[in-house]
Amino acid sequence: MAGPTPVQIFHEEEKKRQYRSGTFFLKVGLLLLFLLVPVLFPAFKTIDLAMQIVLFAVLVASFDILLGYTGILSFGHGMFFGIGAYCVAFLIGKYGMPSYTNLALGFLIAAIVSAALALLISFLTLRVKTIFFAMITLAIAELAIILATKLTGFTGGEDGISLNTPGIFAVSFNMGDFMGLEITGRVFTYYFILFSCIALFLIMLRFTRSPLGRVLQAIRDNVQRAEALGYNTFLYQSISITFGCIMAALIGGLYAMWVGYVNPESSLGVLTIMLDVLLMVIIGGMGTLYGGIIGAAFLKITQTFLPDLQHLAMDLFPHAQLLHNVLERWLLLFGILFILVVIFFPKGVIGSVNEYLLQRKMAKPTISPSSFTPTPPGNRP
Amino acid sequence: MIEKTPDLIMETRDLTIRFGGHVAVDHVNLLVEPFVLKSIIGPNGAGKTTLFNLMTGQYKPSEGRVLLKGNDITHLSAVQRTRLGMGRSFQLTNIFPVLTVLENVRVAIQSRKSIGLNFWRNYLHFPGLEEEAYSILEDVLLDKKWASPASSLTHGEQRKLEIAILLALEPEILFLDEPTAGMSQEEVPAILEILQRIKDAKDRTMLLVEHKMDMIMTLSDTIAVLQDGKLIAEGDPEEIRKNKAVQEAYLGGGARRG
Repeated sequence: MAGPTPVQIFHEEEKKRQYRSGTFFLKVGLLLLFLLVPVLFPAFKTIDLAMQIVLFAVLVASFDILLGYTGILSFGHGMFFGIGAYCVAFLIGKYGMPSYTNLALGFLIAAIVSAALALLISFLTLRVKTIFFAMITLAIAELAIILATKLTGFTGGEDGISLNTPGIFAVSFNMGDFMGLEITGRVFTYYFILFSCIALFLIMLRFTRSPLGRVLQAIRDNVQRAEALGYNTFLYQSISITFGCIMAALIGGLYAMWVGYVNPESSLGVLTIMLDVLLMVIIGGMGTLYGGIIGAAFLKITQTFLPDLQHLAMDLFPHAQLLHNVLERWLLLFGILFILVVIFFPKGVIGSVNEYLLQRKMAKPTISPSSFTPTPPGNRP
Repeated sequence: MIEKTPDLIMETRDLTIRFGGHVAVDHVNLLVEPFVLKSIIGPNGAGKTTLFNLMTGQYKPSEGRVLLKGNDITHLSAVQRTRLGMGRSFQLTNIFPVLTVLENVRVAIQSRKSIGLNFWRNYLHFPGLEEEAYSILEDVLLDKKWASPASSLTHGEQRKLEIAILLALEPEILFLDEPTAGMSQEEVPAILEILQRIKDAKDRTMLLVEHKMDMIMTLSDTIAVLQDGKLIAEGDPEEIRKNKAVQEAYLGGGARRG
């Protein structure tokens, strides 16, 4: 072949642009922001908000591997998150002393239990169609909540389990001041979870960009075609589900470390965890992985600050009764915001922005102007 | 023990399928020599696609056998036959709509090279895959559209992409079921050119079901004619053109089925 193909030229240019592009600076900026949160905003409320955004962003990314990359809708994802949280809580709260070994063991058991359960569920249900898979996982998730609530002796029931994190992660740990920042167990825990989440996110990025990840996207697009190419789609879907669920369990373990408490509703809840994750993936965009960051940030920030608007309005306009009535029902405002996002970003924020950028790129005369018409909406499963 | 017929890549022996009382394919003995382009023609409902489905494993025959290079493959599934080198295109377009054109082909090459289960390396770090995909796109005259999502292609282009996906699997035998179906007149010559190119490369056997007579007459090495599930004539284009039974079948069949 004479000279590089346009594909090679394209990749070369991508490589050159890699460290100069807007998205690269955006990622670095975001990373710096989360690194500096404990320094810049040491109030517990802001650190907690940042941590919740990080944890949920990665949880949404792991859900996106199933939904956006493989085309599998599972309502059991929150359950795997809860299983992870409970495993860690068992090991360093209810059945073991808070030590580093027990903590590591908790994560290990979380990974093993979730992998076994995910494999079992996929063997039992994957042969059936998508909608049945969604229903069956929903049923299993509800069952898990009932079990966690009723098996009081084993799980602590409705009261849940309080846990103490070991060593430098302990709430009581304090190293004193360092450049104006009080180095507490909280700070160590924050950075430990932040770096763990970044590592998990990078692993997921690599997973989706591997040959296997590409096959998953092909399966999402057209199962029959992928099968006709000679791919064992059942095997690939099982791998995807198992991988996503292990990730969810590990994130659940980290979550338990942060909040120091698990109970059926807050860790396993279909309505509390699953619904939020679904909203986040829709807002951020399916099949993007980065969408989780936007979705989690949007949801967590609005949930934290919309209720505050009410107090703000009372201070500023003490007599505008109508305004107070509206702001008191802040969920209504949240609903309106959500509808606006869906209208203006039909494929989620990242998905729609990506599409716009691609359109602009294809419109450049160098790659022939007629060669691109936008993908009709609703093409994704 | 099956006695082998030398120099045949594929063969059917008394291949028959019945759907209830209807015999869709009736004791067909089809011989396919390697590296030829063989067309199967016949009026609507003659059983052409059904014969394809029997040969590629979508249907199991009621009677008879299918042989690939002298080996009985009658009981193998469609996926197993794909692995043995039989590639099949369908009347309905079957592609990955959200993936880019290049990625559609690249995923197929990846399947052939069995690296689909690798989850720890970047997919771009397998040198040659994208280049190979691109050169196949050049063969089917789609290289300019490599970066577009497959769903944005016109119908004719999607059919080309389907052929590209098939070629990526490097099948020894290509089964093309009406590659120009539903295509506009302007798009047909391009498909003709692509098929001619594959044929000129002389490294694959092709079986073609088509309705466009001029296309069949120019492309085919040999033609088999089906009527009511039976093989009524076989030969090169000139012989088929002169064959009385064929003329009868087309005139009669056309009149009877309106």
